[in-house]
Amino acid sequence: MSEEHAKNAARFLANKEQEQWHNETLWQVRGKRDRLAMAIPEWETLREWASGIKMHTLSHLDRYLEQFAANAEANGVKVHWAKDGEEHNEIVYGILKERGVKKLVKSKSMLTEECHLNPFLISKGIDVVESDLGERILQLMDEPPSHIVMPAIHLKREEIGALFEEKLHTEKGNSDPAYLTHAARLHLRQEFLTADASMTGANFGVAATGDVVVCTNEGNADMGTSFAPLHIVSMGMEKLVPDYQSLGVFIRLLARSATGQPVTAYTSHYRKPRKGCEMHLVIVDNGRSRTMEMGDHRRTLKCIRCGACMNTCPVYRRSGGYAYTYFIPGPIGINLGMLRSAKTYAGNLSACSLCCSCNNVCPVKIDLADRIYAWRQSLDRLGKADRIKKGMSKGLKFLFSHPALYRLSLRLAPLLRYMPRFLMYNRLNGWGKGREMPEFANESFTEMWKKGKVKTHTNQRSHE
Amino acid sequence: MSSKEEILSRIRQTVGTGYAMPEIILPAGAVEYGDKTAQFAAVSESVGGRAVVAGKGADLNEMIRSLYPAAKTIASNIPEITLATFNPDKTGTPYELDGTELAVVRGEIGVAENGAVWIAQNVKEKALYFIAEYLVILLDAEKIVHNMHEAYRQIRLNDYGFGLFISGPSKTADIEQALVTGAHGAKGVTVILTSAV
Repeated sequence: MSEEHAKNAARFLANKEQEQWHNETLWQVRGKRDRLAMAIPEWETLREWASGIKMHTLSHLDRYLEQFAANAEANGVKVHWAKDGEEHNEIVYGILKERGVKKLVKSKSMLTEECHLNPFLISKGIDVVESDLGERILQLMDEPPSHIVMPAIHLKREEIGALFEEKLHTEKGNSDPAYLTHAARLHLRQEFLTADASMTGANFGVAATGDVVVCTNEGNADMGTSFAPLHIVSMGMEKLVPDYQSLGVFIRLLARSATGQPVTAYTSHYRKPRKGCEMHLVIVDNGRSRTMEMGDHRRTLKCIRCGACMNTCPVYRRSGGYAYTYFIPGPIGINLGMLRSAKTYAGNLSACSLCCSCNNVCPVKIDLADRIYAWRQSLDRLGKADRIKKGMSKGLKFLFSHPALYRLSLRLAPLLRYMPRFLMYNRLNGWGKGREMPEFANESFTEMWKKGKVKTHTNQRSHE
Repeated sequence: MSSKEEILSRIRQTVGTGYAMPEIILPAGAVEYGDKTAQFAAVSESVGGRAVVAGKGADLNEMIRSLYPAAKTIASNIPEITLATFNPDKTGTPYELDGTELAVVRGEIGVAENGAVWIAQNVKEKALYFIAEYLVILLDAEKIVHNMHEAYRQIRLNDYGFGLFISGPSKTADIEQALVTGAHGAKGVTVILTSAV
């Protein structure tokens, strides 16, 4: 397995204080999630339903997509279909160009990140303004998000204060979060009021009504769509739910899982364009239909991008979003990266201890850790298996299939204690990196057993 | 073949086993609140909002004035709200709503589990819900339901084709997870629970 993630994580870990803050802060978010989840006795039922609804929808996706698109069109929404990111970007640019749009104000959309829309539009001369506070901070820094729900979680207030001082001319040395947030409010309000078009992602598409549902806390999607005469929605085709009853299940789960809130401040249903305005919807495949062909990995398409798996992941919390090579980090990002390009993103597979905590918090019950385990089994086939570990596995296989040799090596193992450190702790022994090797016992269990040193508790057990 | 046809035909080749739609009927023991109004008010507060009960025969204008004594530009299209300084439906474009200090609107359904209020667009420009510095939502206390399942059984969109749940003020924690209200939308939201009796 590649060490790419470990190498990147080392940079994050160099700042111990920041690493500790990152770890503890995300763990607090996980704690909030737990408190809210536990206040709902039917929580596990909701997760079962959410998983079931998504599997049902995915297994009838052709039908639901047709129904959704037909309803949206009947509502006066112009529907476009994009096979891949490139087609998506061309469609969006085509709409903007035709209407002479100079400034586009966007709310957070992981799909447009996936399609690399912003750099494409900027290269065409469009002024693209991200309006989610975290996204705006990163756009001003020219950096990508490090978390899908809390994009600027890796930054300290002082860094943001210095950035705003330079870009928004805020007071020197003032890094109070309330002060900075309100400075961004004033700055972005001008952008909302002067944009020619707005763009949002979609948390859900409701097949039965054609509604596009967007959940935000800031109200930035709503500000954007309330002024500019053109609204473009970019939606991954797996975002569909059949109807309002199924939507209710997801709305109950989403914010509780994501940030430990009972619901986001705004849950907006966009069904028709505003009077005299236009609404366009781009339905995007970009590899999703390929994922559907990939057996159990299809379950990854249930994801509602809440980020709960990141907040709980001990590896993510202690390595940060930038340690991963795919733009979505954490357990879901490891999986989505592998589905995008297994060869390119295999380096992230090592960023998992198989503790399975992600499986247990995922609101749609994706077996994220099991998927990662399954991907690891295919590393050799991908030509990405670690040569050293492969060699060790071969050696161990030989050892385990030759009992006499195995017993001899066990008897000799305690001698490792007397080996010079440089022979034990070096490049060839990945397990000796950053940790001490366990001490071998003087006697193996088998030897102890044979000598009758192992006390059995058969009598005790009969009373249990 | 169009992209639409290409995508749909690819999906048709892969859909495989059809999974059944789960039956969404809440199990026994699912959360229910003895006093929905009290629960709604408690959650509203926990999300940075506020819910106040208007007693029988209370003067809503007086109440709103005492809640927001400094508000000068007050928008409302509700005839009974006489302290409104203008009717937002009489403005030409949404841009003219910039500078609104307080908007008073009606909500349709309240949700006890999360303090959300459903509004199917009931002003000419939906911008009003977001651009006003503060928002007052009038809600019939009888219209509070336990959870989102109940709410979604009742909500309908009208000809505007827009509706939303609002739960508390606009907020963000994007700077060091420090919670700040008033990110882009209303800095404060008060739900006034009215009673028909």
